Amino acid sequence: MPNIERREFLKLIGAGSVGVGAGFMLRESAKHPTEYLIPHVVAPEDFSSGIATWYNSVCSMCPAGCGISVRTREGLAKKIEGNPLHPVNQGRLCALGQAGLQVLYNPDRLTEPLRQTAERGSTSFEKITWDEGLDQVGERLDLLRAAGRGNRVALLSQGVRGHLAQLFESFMQQMGSERLLHYDFNHPHTLYAANQRFFGEDRLPYYDLQNTRLLLSFGADYLATWISPVHHSLGFGESRQGRPDIRGKFIQIEPRMSISGAAADEWIAARPGTEGFLALGLAHHIVAEGNYQGADRADWVTALADYSPSQVAEQTGLPVTTIVRLADMFVDIDPSLAIGGGAAANHSNGVDTLVAVNVLNYLVGNIGREGGLVFNPEPSGPVSRRRQASYLSMLELAEAARQGEIDVLILNSTNPVFTLPAAAEFRQALAEIPLIVSLSSFLDETTALADLILPSHTYLESWGDDFPEPGVGFSVGAVSQPVVSPLYNTRATGDIILALAQRIGASNAMPWNSMEEFLKDGWRQIYERGDAQTLAQGFDAFWISVLRAGVWGETTRRNTEFTLERSVIAGIGVQTPEFSGSEEEYPFILHPYLSPNFHDGRGANLPWMQELPDPMTSVVYGSWVEINPVTAEQLGFTEGDLVEIQSPHGTVRAPVFIFPAIMPDVIAMPIGQGHHEYGRYAKDRGVNPIEILSPQIEPVTGSLASSATRVKLVATGRRVKLVKTSGMSRDLGRDIVQTTGPTGVEVSSARPNSIPITEVTS
Amino acid sequence: MSLFSRFMDSWRKYRKPGYYDEFDYHWTMAIDLDKCTGCEACVTACQAENNIPVVGEKEMARGREMQWIRIERYWEGEFPDIKLRFIPMMCQHCDAAPCETVCPVGATYHNQDGLNAQIYNRCIGTRACAVYCPYEVRYFNYYDHHWDSPLDKQLNPDVTVRGKGVMEKCTFCIQRIRQAKDLAKDDGRRRVRDGEVQPACVQSCPSKALVFGDRKDPDSQVFKSMHDPRNYRVLEELNTDSSVFYLKKVDA
Repeated sequence: MPNIERREFLKLIGAGSVGVGAGFMLRESAKHPTEYLIPHVVAPEDFSSGIATWYNSVCSMCPAGCGISVRTREGLAKKIEGNPLHPVNQGRLCALGQAGLQVLYNPDRLTEPLRQTAERGSTSFEKITWDEGLDQVGERLDLLRAAGRGNRVALLSQGVRGHLAQLFESFMQQMGSERLLHYDFNHPHTLYAANQRFFGEDRLPYYDLQNTRLLLSFGADYLATWISPVHHSLGFGESRQGRPDIRGKFIQIEPRMSISGAAADEWIAARPGTEGFLALGLAHHIVAEGNYQGADRADWVTALADYSPSQVAEQTGLPVTTIVRLADMFVDIDPSLAIGGGAAANHSNGVDTLVAVNVLNYLVGNIGREGGLVFNPEPSGPVSRRRQASYLSMLELAEAARQGEIDVLILNSTNPVFTLPAAAEFRQALAEIPLIVSLSSFLDETTALADLILPSHTYLESWGDDFPEPGVGFSVGAVSQPVVSPLYNTRATGDIILALAQRIGASNAMPWNSMEEFLKDGWRQIYERGDAQTLAQGFDAFWISVLRAGVWGETTRRNTEFTLERSVIAGIGVQTPEFSGSEEEYPFILHPYLSPNFHDGRGANLPWMQELPDPMTSVVYGSWVEINPVTAEQLGFTEGDLVEIQSPHGTVRAPVFIFPAIMPDVIAMPIGQGHHEYGRYAKDRGVNPIEILSPQIEPVTGSLASSATRVKLVATGRRVKLVKTSGMSRDLGRDIVQTTGPTGVEVSSARPNSIPITEVTS
Repeated sequence: MSLFSRFMDSWRKYRKPGYYDEFDYHWTMAIDLDKCTGCEACVTACQAENNIPVVGEKEMARGREMQWIRIERYWEGEFPDIKLRFIPMMCQHCDAAPCETVCPVGATYHNQDGLNAQIYNRCIGTRACAVYCPYEVRYFNYYDHHWDSPLDKQLNPDVTVRGKGVMEKCTFCIQRIRQAKDLAKDDGRRRVRDGEVQPACVQSCPSKALVFGDRKDPDSQVFKSMHDPRNYRVLEELNTDSSVFYLKKVDA
């Protein structure tokens, strides 16, 4: 549970003391300062020179949905911090979230509507007015709608939640089109599907890291990129040192050490794709040892018969003793929690693996209790889960385009040309669509192919809201408000959609004049539904208090009773993971991971993020390929050797980084760099490993099995200097990072300070 | 008392670590390495708060990065029994700071709050302080740095933008400390309350590994942390008497 208790949370909301709606107040005075001889003789009421005003809003740099407080001075945004009232991040914020300022003030923003004048991708644009742009799209849409061919229009957005998602729904409904897709490269499709199968609901539970005593993470980099990293970090800190005499233990199972692996007490490398076998091996041992005594025990014995520790040891490459030890620990330390995600979930057996992780939680009774996993109630506002597009739905969209079934494609801040493998041939499919409209704020790879760009505000200039998935055991809603007046001739995404709705004659069904109006209307419904527990009297007071606090929580907790269907038990089992490419020709498994700095690549245009050393390697401004020291020695590679990474579906080039914590037959590459467009800071820097991924599918969800590509390494004979900030990577007896035994008892500080051979010779 | 003995008295006093008889506040940081995840949220928070320039790839390659706080990483062991240890490193605000004694123009000095302060317009760029600093946390402006417009709109008006030839480093966010002291004064209070002032790095830390406060207040969180049995200071054998305490990582 979050630190903020329910009652306190309500109290806090009544007592907000921050600004509301910078958008209107500053618009007139700050937008055209040159038009005023002395701009602030009569300053807006929230504007006093030398004193900062804070606005609460919502971060949209990743799907976690943290609350933010933005410090503004003289109408300019100066700093983003976490909103202390928001139960997800409780005042804290990650590096990427804080760099949101450089989205707002990015020199490469699209500042006005543009029309492509030469062939697509030439990026020669002419300026047009908003009316010209909207009319051009509006007329096309109106014709299609009138002809009953609305389904020839597709809207492809990045994952959005809240009322903007609802606006998209109504608009596409008015268009008569079913082709509304939200696409994120790293949407956890397999996690949803596993929960659907095991718990019978298509929703994420709340993982209570804070109160657990043992966390077993199967591949989930929960501290950096998985679901809600800031909230998990809070829980991690509390679990570690927040309770007297209890120190949470963390174990990470993954083929390449992530930030969460470094933070763990124990890092275990199981063969990639066999994490599910390991989980079931643990389950087998728990049941066999009589540590599970439920009524359905006999079913479990049958279901787990093939997963004895000795069988699993063969699959995973781990010793039987380790498997038995982990299983015993999982039972003995109480409460414990198992989570799964990341690379473990991105194999051809991803759903099976995550179901197996749920099995562990079920067997030791971690479900629905403190320190385990807690079911979330129904979100109090609109979410868009069913619109999340898997890899397969993106292929369907591309196929429809190829068949000439799509006349207009509207893109909202999503960059599938960058985040889909080249094998998907999405770029080629786009060529078959007569009209592509992008609402992006930046000229990314996909927007560069658009005929028309109607640039939207950044999130710091627009109205919106968010209902974080997963919540924190109770449902949370947060409103995002403009913190500065718009910098350029851009418009809010919601306003553009509403303007288009007017042009297709849907004003009756969508009568709102602006996103702000629509949002307020939506929140009025939440208020009037009666479950809005608030101290405020009347909707207006409620609205103001929500804007001040930036967040509002519905405090109903859910009944957490859970009974498992017997049919589920019979279906438990993990298939052997399938990899693309033969082991003989392609000896390495490629482990692409989300860069904590760039997420799926969206952060690559932020100079702070480019210059922020990668947490594990300290490399800046580029891509690299991580290779185990022994493998590198065998192949004769040293740091900086430029190698070709060849998969059955493509080739990229990157310099070698000798990474000591990766399996010898696995190589890892960060995702995020390798843009061909996307502004001066991102363009032509590094490579994008997504490009060479094989189109291997997880069959249950149709999502991309992004960790299932085999590759080979080919030397190029060239060397480059890898720019990094770390010098010597070993402590060499300087005792800079000191450690102690678990009970605070001093242990010998003598430790191995051997230098790997590769480092001496380089 | 002769002029000479008076001079010698103040000289001796000056040479004493922490030559103020008593600090008004004694700002101190405690960092729990068992909580730190190495996520670097603190680094970006510092960049944003303190107008730290982006130097570009070429300068980065020459080791001229500007990051007042950084995460150091040390590997231990070999695959598969391997660990990576993180440690945040910034100016340790030593009470017996080697950098202060070496500066020929007195641009770096110890202030009445126990902070190691840098006077930018007094600095002549000898870089001697950076050589003397055992923690290597001083950063030199080799150029006048440039912010591509409109990125300059983000610059914090409370913090000076440093020019070419000037040394800079972590200030414990002195602008925030000043503001908190002013507020306390306006409030009719004599002292700043615990938790009222937090440097940007401490404020942002997702796992709450960093704690900041006044060591002179025995009820403060930082006082408790710095007296935790796990406390140590980096390179303590150099007797720099630093104001940043680390809590040892627990190896379980």
